[in-house]
Amino acid sequence: MTVRADTSRELATRPLVASVRDLRVHFEAKAGRVHAVDGVSFEIRDGETLGLVGETGCGKSVTARSFIRLVPTPPGIYAGGEIDFWSTVARRTGVGPIDLLEIPHKEMLAIRGDRIAMIFQDPGKALNPALSIRSQMAEVFYQHRSEEILMSLGPDVPWIIRRAARQQSNSFESILLKMPPWRAKAAGLRKKVDELVAHALTETQIANPRKIMDSYPHELSGGMKQRVLIAQALACHPDLLIADEPTTALDVTIQARILELIAELQERLETSVLYISHDLSLVKEICDRVAVMYAGRIVETGTTEEIFSNPAHPYTRGLMAAVPSATHQRGKLAAIDGTVPELVDPPPSCRFNGRCPYAVDICRTVDPSDIDLGGGHEVACFIYETSLDSSVRPTRERRTS
Amino acid sequence: MTTVSADTGAAQQSTDDRAVITLRGVEKYFPIKEGALQRVVGHVRAVDGVSFEVRPGETLGLVGESGCGKTTLGRCISGLATPTGGEIYFRLSDSDAALLDEIDSIPESELTAEQRKEAARIDRHHGIHQLSGRAWRTYRRNCQVVFQDSFSSLNPRQLVKDIVGRPLRVYKESSGQDLTEKVVSLLESVGLGRQHLYRYPHQFSGGQRQRISIARALALDPEFIVLDEPTSALDVSVQAQILNLLHDLQKERGLTYLFISHDLGVVRLMSDRIAVMYLGKIAEHGTSNELFEDTRHPYTDALLAANPDISAEKSEMRGLHGTVPDPANPPEGCRFHTRCPVATPACGWEVDDAVAWLQTNETLLAGLTDVERRSNFDATLVFGDAATAGAVGDAMRNGDMPAPMKAALDDVSTDETKVHIRFSPVEPVELEDIGGGHLTACVLYTSRGTG
Amino acid sequence: MVDVLAPETTTVQIDGPWVVRLRRLADVSRQVLSNPTTSAGLVIIILLLSLTVLAPVLTEPNVPNPYQMPRDWGARDAPPGTPGHLLGTTSTGGDVFYGVVWGARTSLRLSLIVVGVTVTVGTIVGSLAGFIGGKLDEMLMRAVDVLLAIPELIFALAIAAVLGPSFGNIIFALSVVFWVKYARIIRGQIIHVKQNEYVDAARITGDSKLNIFRKDVLPNSITPVIVQATLDMGGIVLTAATLSFIGLAEAGLAEWGVLVSDGQAGISAGKWWASTFPGLMVFLWALAFNLLGDGMRDVLDPRTEGR
Repeated sequence: MTVRADTSRELATRPLVASVRDLRVHFEAKAGRVHAVDGVSFEIRDGETLGLVGETGCGKSVTARSFIRLVPTPPGIYAGGEIDFWSTVARRTGVGPIDLLEIPHKEMLAIRGDRIAMIFQDPGKALNPALSIRSQMAEVFYQHRSEEILMSLGPDVPWIIRRAARQQSNSFESILLKMPPWRAKAAGLRKKVDELVAHALTETQIANPRKIMDSYPHELSGGMKQRVLIAQALACHPDLLIADEPTTALDVTIQARILELIAELQERLETSVLYISHDLSLVKEICDRVAVMYAGRIVETGTTEEIFSNPAHPYTRGLMAAVPSATHQRGKLAAIDGTVPELVDPPPSCRFNGRCPYAVDICRTVDPSDIDLGGGHEVACFIYETSLDSSVRPTRERRTS
Repeated sequence: MTTVSADTGAAQQSTDDRAVITLRGVEKYFPIKEGALQRVVGHVRAVDGVSFEVRPGETLGLVGESGCGKTTLGRCISGLATPTGGEIYFRLSDSDAALLDEIDSIPESELTAEQRKEAARIDRHHGIHQLSGRAWRTYRRNCQVVFQDSFSSLNPRQLVKDIVGRPLRVYKESSGQDLTEKVVSLLESVGLGRQHLYRYPHQFSGGQRQRISIARALALDPEFIVLDEPTSALDVSVQAQILNLLHDLQKERGLTYLFISHDLGVVRLMSDRIAVMYLGKIAEHGTSNELFEDTRHPYTDALLAANPDISAEKSEMRGLHGTVPDPANPPEGCRFHTRCPVATPACGWEVDDAVAWLQTNETLLAGLTDVERRSNFDATLVFGDAATAGAVGDAMRNGDMPAPMKAALDDVSTDETKVHIRFSPVEPVELEDIGGGHLTACVLYTSRGTG
Repeated sequence: MVDVLAPETTTVQIDGPWVVRLRRLADVSRQVLSNPTTSAGLVIIILLLSLTVLAPVLTEPNVPNPYQMPRDWGARDAPPGTPGHLLGTTSTGGDVFYGVVWGARTSLRLSLIVVGVTVTVGTIVGSLAGFIGGKLDEMLMRAVDVLLAIPELIFALAIAAVLGPSFGNIIFALSVVFWVKYARIIRGQIIHVKQNEYVDAARITGDSKLNIFRKDVLPNSITPVIVQATLDMGGIVLTAATLSFIGLAEAGLAEWGVLVSDGQAGISAGKWWASTFPGLMVFLWALAFNLLGDGMRDVLDPRTEGR
């Protein structure tokens, strides 16, 4: 599996799938207001994999969950900004984007699982232990594909079956469905859904879909569970897949296969992927573009190649120097001093100030804005302001030992 | 150099001719109980014959994925669990080790009384699960542990001073103001300070809690520390700080480390020698350079290939196909052959592999009703009808069974609804030294293999 | 997450260990009482406790035994508000107000003794089972299972009936029956806590098993017991009132259950006060401890506390 060798220019001409503008998500805590996400902006283009990378507490998960409004709203507060989303249909028909933060709840329910899907870190926790895999996956199809299923059943579908497909059956109808004249039709409906489920599972290279469908989550390994979840997420061929550290809980040899799978599916289904991770080396392997987050803000964006060969922001540079790689010799790493600051009612300033070896006075009092370094590479750091003395900038050495 | 332990009484022998920890054929099996009467129906072989030693001042990295047994092994070494077979020795001298080698090579019945006495003496003085009194206390003081989960490894109801000072109190090394000062100096040596004495663990971040754990481990000035994934739960930047701290402490105090991890980059950074574990056994063991630059086991290769590397120029991430064998019934031959991309006919193909291969083909599998096993290598597959049996027999003989498996088949014969299969039996695979202390269990490189 | 690694530039006043411990206790208490219903429960408890303390002040203690209801044969079935009898009298001239006040004392004695004994015995049995494990655990737990299969109320009733009508026997019967659930609670907690790595770390330190139990296992397992004990302070009084209501206590005792029973006959004749006021007291007592216990349970859930 190789990194796609796209140049930044080609990427920049693709149509937009999502555009996050100045997103702010805060949390009410006893101590004050925590600015978990504080002015985040980035774009996701058609067919690309964007990596959102940062350490614990930087706000990447909250950002991802905001796409489908999964942040619990007390104590969370959507304090500002917008997330514009263009579905494939919208792009084709020329309709404008919708703001995912503003659309009514019913519309959001229709989008979740259908146009935007999400997979999470711990596959064990994402599956209901009391339901078979078949029932859980069938749920997706009943939710989003009921009309298609009904059409495929032929012209004369009794009303009771229609309601069952739309998950609107009341308890009386459920009893009726178990009785002879309707039982066969209900079985037909289930068979159709089973086929869709089996097909979705086969797409994720599962050799024995029928066996897996009959199983319960505890009977499956971690890698297999994650495959099922990927199958479930991609069942309706969404426009955007959000993957929140999907391989952190898996062994490294299984991780590689899951990532291969995601890459392959992405190409085939032409889905865009927002990949959240704390692992820089992983992001380098699979993402086209990268956005680095620190303390609620994006500090640097650019193509993978550009960011890893010319990291501009002092935090990005520090982070890369702190990752042990298999080519490291016995010894020490260049670590970043200090710890992440508190995000409670923070004053305007660069959040990395205090740990930054290149800090100047202005870093303490003013929020940095994005500076374009060319070729899609942006950085939020004062030392790249052309007005400042360029001798302040970091030199090219990347690693000390 | 290591500090002289005051507890040994007799003159401390120079540390140049002994190991700190020696493992010889260590096994740890867990019984599987079933039924209302909890009958033991089998054993999970978490650790299945592991031998290695750790020399003074060095770091041995123990690498493997989940389920390989490295954590269980770490617990046996630190005394938290008792092995069900083999023994672990503390401060075994080289001469004693040579004696044990000699004794092991002679069958039990032919040992002289002298040899038996010597073996008993060595066990009594160095085997950690047979030590008592002063010798046990010496071992206990000199073997400390730092755990992975910094939250659950500190008692949430104790203040930092009590947590770090506890070892000193237990061994009655100091008390009162003297104890407090000792704790402060320990905290300072891990990058914390006096202001942290009277706080609870939940008031600290993950990285700081690990520092507290390390301070506790250092309290008695031990010789050896088992580090069980000490930074796996930490962020990258915090991990770098903690690894640097561990590095400095080792230099300053002459510590010996057993560094358990699943992260190859971290292991390479911290270790002099590395042992790779797979399904309860060591697959490869050598210096860091040997393992990374002259890899001699396909599993090590697979780990390296699967690890995303930030410094790699080209991306070559590859995963492994195939299933992991059941740890309660592992293969008699090489345990990795079920997923090995370069398996040979000599690796030890078994009936289970044939059944697993059948499972990849739904139609063939559906007809299977029973497996009559005569041994792990010899069995009869019973099908529902003769047609399926015939199809399976054909597939095995001419079809798409993987080549090494096919070549290892001595005999395939169809008999109505039954298919008899027989593989060539193999001896268990052993670790072999292929030069200069570089050990591997892969038949491709050992004398068992090709040729 | 405070940046604790920053060097302290000025000499900081470091709080001593006891200040820190007390502050933690204060924090937890504040959390518990931040819920208005929990605070309400605590207020009622304080009022009830003041009743017990002020009993000799509020009423003239009866001689020779203040726990026996005084009889005013001249004023039987007097309604509330009768001079000298604030809450009225029973059919035998017992002062309801006296019964209410001294009944509080009886209830306090009862609940302290029963809860004290049951918690102690249950904790010892459960700790042995949970900490030592193995065959001892199996034996003890089978015994516990058998005991739990017997309905608690019936069991206590049977014991008290056999021993003879006396409140002391009720206390005894309840102590014998109600310890079992504590054994289960703490055994479960101990098994869970034992899996934490700090217990392993304590073993590595070389500490004795008793010390490990005392310092690591017990303090981290005890919170559900404290919550249950609080709830039981209320529940036991209810159960005892039931037993004394059906006649297992000595007649004429200044105890709420006895009073409710005495006044029962008169209700249909419109003489509601002799049963209602003591009944109300039982209700308040049980309610107050339930509110406090529930509030404590929410805060002291071992999974979330300390985070």
